Amino acid sequence: MARAIGLITANYSSEDHSLLTEVRPAASLPFAGRYRLIDFPLSNMVNAGLRKVGVIMPYNYRSIIDHIISSKDWNLDRKNGGLFILPGSAYGSSRESSRFLIRDIDANRSFLEKSDTEYVVMASSNVIYNMNLEYVIATHQESGADITILEKRVDADDPDLWAADIEDGRVKSMHRGVKGGELAFLDTFIAKRELLLQCLDWYQAVSHLDLFEALSNDFERLYVMSWEFKGYAASIFRTDSYYRRNMDLLDPHINADIFRTDRTIMTKAHDVAPAKYEPGAVVSNSLISAGSKIAGTVTGSVLGRNVRVEKGAVIIDSLIGQDCVIESGARVVNAIIDRNNRIPENTQLCGTHEAVLVHGKGE
Amino acid sequence: MSKQQCIAMLLAGGQGSRLGALTGKVAKPAVSFGGKFRIIDFALSNCSNSGISTVGVLTQYRPYLLHSYLGTGEAWNLDERGGGVSILPPYATQEGGAWYEGTADAVAQNIGYIESYDPDYVLILSGDQLYRMDYHAMLQTHIRHNADLTISVMPVAWEEASRFGIITKDDDDRVVKFTEKPAEPDSNLASMGIYIFSTDVLLDKLRADADNPNSSHDFGNDIIPEMLASDYRIYCHEFNGYWRDVGTIASFHETSMELLGENPAFDLYTRVGRIMSNASTRPPAFIGPKGKVDDSLVSNGAQVCGNVKHSIISTDCYVGEGAEVTDSIMLPGARVEEGARVVRAILGEKSCIQAGATFGTADEKEEFAVIGDEVVVGKGE
Repeated sequence: MARAIGLITANYSSEDHSLLTEVRPAASLPFAGRYRLIDFPLSNMVNAGLRKVGVIMPYNYRSIIDHIISSKDWNLDRKNGGLFILPGSAYGSSRESSRFLIRDIDANRSFLEKSDTEYVVMASSNVIYNMNLEYVIATHQESGADITILEKRVDADDPDLWAADIEDGRVKSMHRGVKGGELAFLDTFIAKRELLLQCLDWYQAVSHLDLFEALSNDFERLYVMSWEFKGYAASIFRTDSYYRRNMDLLDPHINADIFRTDRTIMTKAHDVAPAKYEPGAVVSNSLISAGSKIAGTVTGSVLGRNVRVEKGAVIIDSLIGQDCVIESGARVVNAIIDRNNRIPENTQLCGTHEAVLVHGKGE
Repeated sequence: MSKQQCIAMLLAGGQGSRLGALTGKVAKPAVSFGGKFRIIDFALSNCSNSGISTVGVLTQYRPYLLHSYLGTGEAWNLDERGGGVSILPPYATQEGGAWYEGTADAVAQNIGYIESYDPDYVLILSGDQLYRMDYHAMLQTHIRHNADLTISVMPVAWEEASRFGIITKDDDDRVVKFTEKPAEPDSNLASMGIYIFSTDVLLDKLRADADNPNSSHDFGNDIIPEMLASDYRIYCHEFNGYWRDVGTIASFHETSMELLGENPAFDLYTRVGRIMSNASTRPPAFIGPKGKVDDSLVSNGAQVCGNVKHSIISTDCYVGEGAEVTDSIMLPGARVEEGARVVRAILGEKSCIQAGATFGTADEKEEFAVIGDEVVVGKGE
């Protein structure tokens, strides 16, 4: 039997309100052509044997529900447990910097109470990784820690991630904004279910805070352990990182690390035929999703499902959302073309490597 | 189980020996096709798209993969309460057990299954054909003629007619003659092996046939000729779309290749009459920096670092750097390693052409090179 239940916060937006997140919560941002960000925490939890997972919804929940309602694609169509669609605490998206708002968890107290597992795994939906969470849960259990946070050493500064100061494996304090070389919190933690419920009581008065802000006064009292993840992990909070983390998947090593065959990332199944490369198509260094038809040139790019690239169209270093049509003679370079767009004949949509052009969702 | 107007009996037990190495480990309907599909997907999708939600699948030869692939039928929206997909393998009773001896015998042994749904009509299908058809339209034809049996037919080229079972009809579309592979055909309407029976007639005929020691228990050889001789109301329903029997290596290869090129005759991309499958969820195909793909299908989960031309690369296939794959079909999980060359070949599931090896020949006088599932071909072999 599963030792833990899962709780995913899908009810906050990204840090910069680009055209991409104006129309959808961050959790349903498309990723790697055919996935959405929420697929990653969901799959990691399911692959760790969890069979009861709650997802806290934002107010604009349509796209998330549409995606995850077929819970069978994650083996979460269970008679006992399964997928739970849960309410958020507030009207809008949560405060931008917060991923684990206490009042969001408190609003779902009964989800936690009506479970009999010892542990809860909580995760946000902005961090991409493929991790053996089952092992981390076991490690947490053996350590005797109250909470284990998952961390990863980052190469560069990131203002959106939280950093933890650690002494003898214990977290002493946490603050927002991580520097290159430091350990960053991957917005995933494991706690005893009873303890999380207790936290809700302790911090009732400050329920507008993030759980980790509230905990910061109690790191002496609680044993919060840091567990360092060595695999690939990527945070996606801004348009720029959204673009670059997608492009990371063109690196075969990163691709193989995320899309391992022993722990698959699951997503909503669609009945689309294999991608079709017409006579004369030129495609290299790209990820091409099923259902697409390519007659033009595609290089250094990631294509979603059912994209049409007409003869003479050129796509370079770009992300093309599902159901887009790139007409003959159009040229798309360093751009993000959101789904359902038709780029007319001979149009030029060119950004630069430093400033990627974003073309919002079409009709 | 609730009463159904029409249920389907899908014949999926054949070995498909003419597919050679491809059916060494799986039944013919379970053979992979078109990159991510299996042959049985077409009949099951047609059922689902035609509103036939109760389908009995008759299995016999190497059924494991087929059974696990069918599952609850959910992939084709056929997991309905009071119906859905039922897997019907041969079974034992107090009197003993027996294998299915022919297509009619397979259905006859499951008369109990048919009766439990009390259908007015029974659709008989085979699980090895590629086509998109609205069975509901055929059922309307059957009802309009107040027929005992309706046979789906399609016009074929006159010079090819002697390869088929040929139907001769009168002006009212009533079948007057059925000739298996006639030397001098007097009609170019070929039977597609798709039948709708009125249930009472079907059950009578199956029971009579079961008691006939001289029968081979086959719909085409025994049941239909006997019904014609006895003056039953047999009509035909003309179908004018794309239809292929993928029963031989040559037709499998040819039909696969017909999916390529500009505007192929069978459109896998239309949203009307969509072909559904129970494919696994895999990431988008990765075309490497030195990869080249021309006039081909490449499925999710595939990785292409070499040169692919006029070929079908199925789910989770791998083409290494410097490798060449031309005019070939790689079934799911097949690998062509670095520098290997594959021409006019069919590679079975999870088979492997090792680095530097060559498989197949461009010489069109030679047969297609085929290796079965999980076979490994090394350099110099």
